[in-house]
Amino acid sequence: MSEDIAFWLSYLTNGKHLTWYASFQFTIFAAVAGGILAVVFGLIGATLKNSRYLPLRLIGTFYSSIVRGVPDVLFFLFFPLAFEQAVEWIWASQVCTPEMIAAQSAAWPPCKAANWILTTPEYLILASVSLGLVYGAFATNVIHGAMRSVPHGQLEAARAYGMSTGQVLWRVQIRQMWVYALPGLSNVWMLIIKATSLLSLLQIADIVLWADRLGAPNFLPAVGLVHDDWRWRYYLVLFVFYILVTLISEKGFNALMRRAGRGMLNEGHH
Amino acid sequence: MKKTLFAAAAILALTSAANAQEVVRIGTEGAYAPWNFMDDAGKPAGFEIDLGNAICAEAKLTCEFVVNDWDSIIPNLLAGNYDVIMAGMSITDERRETIDFSDNYFPADPSRFAAEAGETLDLNALEGKRIGVQGGTIQAAYAQEHFGANNTVVSFTTADQAMADLAAGNLDTILADGAYLEPVITASNGAFEFVGEDILIGDGYAAGLRKDEPELKGKINAALETLKKNGTLDKLIAQWFDGRGPFFAS
Amino acid sequence: MDHFFAEVVYFAPAALFNIYFAAASIPLGFVFAVFLALGKDSRNPLLSRLSRGYIYAFRGSPLFIQFFMFYSLALSLNISVWKPMGISWFVLHPLFIGPLVLILNTSAYTAEIFHGALRAVPRGEIEAARAYGMSWPQQFRQVIWPNLIRLAWPAYTNEVVFLFHATAIVYFALPVIGQQKDLMITAKELVERDYNAFMHFSIAALYFLAVSLVVFFLFGLVYQRLMRHMPSRPRMRFAPKWLR
Repeated sequence: MSEDIAFWLSYLTNGKHLTWYASFQFTIFAAVAGGILAVVFGLIGATLKNSRYLPLRLIGTFYSSIVRGVPDVLFFLFFPLAFEQAVEWIWASQVCTPEMIAAQSAAWPPCKAANWILTTPEYLILASVSLGLVYGAFATNVIHGAMRSVPHGQLEAARAYGMSTGQVLWRVQIRQMWVYALPGLSNVWMLIIKATSLLSLLQIADIVLWADRLGAPNFLPAVGLVHDDWRWRYYLVLFVFYILVTLISEKGFNALMRRAGRGMLNEGHH
Repeated sequence: MKKTLFAAAAILALTSAANAQEVVRIGTEGAYAPWNFMDDAGKPAGFEIDLGNAICAEAKLTCEFVVNDWDSIIPNLLAGNYDVIMAGMSITDERRETIDFSDNYFPADPSRFAAEAGETLDLNALEGKRIGVQGGTIQAAYAQEHFGANNTVVSFTTADQAMADLAAGNLDTILADGAYLEPVITASNGAFEFVGEDILIGDGYAAGLRKDEPELKGKINAALETLKKNGTLDKLIAQWFDGRGPFFAS
Repeated sequence: MDHFFAEVVYFAPAALFNIYFAAASIPLGFVFAVFLALGKDSRNPLLSRLSRGYIYAFRGSPLFIQFFMFYSLALSLNISVWKPMGISWFVLHPLFIGPLVLILNTSAYTAEIFHGALRAVPRGEIEAARAYGMSWPQQFRQVIWPNLIRLAWPAYTNEVVFLFHATAIVYFALPVIGQQKDLMITAKELVERDYNAFMHFSIAALYFLAVSLVVFFLFGLVYQRLMRHMPSRPRMRFAPKWLR
């Protein structure tokens, strides 16, 4: 019995498992960075949508509706590649000579000198930006709605105090909007968490890739412990992990909403 | 705006140029034991990792292994994310159109069918069988072309996933590199067997390179030549493939 | 330009797989969701807990993981269960297990929508129905259901669009049979060949966008019909929301 426990303990703490546990950092980083960027893009998008100038309004609307009309995974694969190519293209215009371009045999990049090597950190940042862009479109909608929910009287009062348009927007409308935006943003956050499961599609050795590698059946003693197909067990762990993260996030957001709503409830009592 | 872009590009150029001089990056799959796999320490290991390190020591290069999915392993080589592929890749004419190969480090080896003990396959009249392959391999193309019409060809992301489906009885057979299947069949104690006839596709296993890297190719080939002559390569093959060979010692 | 149109045609068979996955999971997902929503609202604590837990688990975890988990789970049951029953080839086929997982997933999201609508059904109407002496099945058919579906329809339309979007990851998690490739695999393979991400992914995106618009249009027609008693019928706009 104790031998069994010792065996499982050492199996579950071998380097391969430790790498798996460590890879949770990629998922958490992508979620947090993606979440922050989604709010930033959401604020930009909502401000554009609220703009007095038609072209800006159109850009905001176009961004939020087109991105939401396409699967997140498509954008998730497209954006890092497109961004890499755009950088390499601009770079190529600076460093590539015609001879270098002629010598290039592959379809891309334009010349060898203009090659941007993508490794895990770069992919992780690009993945976070993609998540931010995709879910920023959803956040745009949420924040746009919330900005409109801010009582008109408050904005008028701010204007009456002589605040400029920018000041009204930044000091009053955006500050007051959070309370209305929080339920929607909590929903967007849940979407981002779930989308972090896609990291392995960008060659990041994330929790999903390691679950596959650890669970795949092994027949060769030279490779490690010989075992059958254990994949579903490892995926079950991830399944439970994500549910727990959702649960914790929900609790966090509820606490946040109670806090943010304190002043508002008082207002109702007057 | 353009200035900042240029500055960013310059920084990228500097860092990656520095990288390019120092480190040769080798792309591998890490899910194709004993060629390449992730060991208990969570690091790439296997025949090709040992060989790659031997080549780099011989050629005085600093090397680093990068794990990349099989299906995008050639595109990401061409895109420059790494400089060499060592991932149990066979030389074929189709691949030669897009990438270059070093001299082979494992001789041409037949692709073989593996199945549960007792299964028989008549390759001339194969019908209604579920054949598992790894997507994007020479075997996948062969199976689709020759048996696709009357059989179901199922492609998996990794060879290990195909093995899992075979072991779970979801496939009648899998078609894969003999040198990948042999250790598995030996270790299975009679649960799996080779069936049908062997099929010769590919001209041996070699390192894949971009076509515009003759210098790196020359270094790798020179190192391989030494390792072949001094018996290191044969020793590694015997070590990882149940005492096969020698193939290269003169 | 010709090249562009040629490729749009080339993608058409692939789009059918995405449409199939969505179409195969919508009806059963709908029915299952109604039962789950009623279960969550049930006074029976066991039934309520179970439905609540199911909905929470499937809404709280990524579909990508659900695909991997259910495929490997079904695979591990193959020799002991599916093989003896003779349905092995069928159960593990992506065209079966794909919609199966999508049904499990979408029914949880849909149930949450229906449950919200169920609680929004005007109390007075139910009380009036009770006063008329209607039995529970009668109440449900005559009062609760018509209200529920009208309240839930716009959100349900959204869910259907997102279900269609979710079909994009089926073949990233499941094996590919022969040449049965969906939009994403087709686009990815083409991009891996020539790096033209802008062209290939855009065409796949166009298909997703077009089908989303068609869904909004068709479901909008149904909505108009559901709302035909209203003096001015509300319209539905193309606006995928954050409900999923």
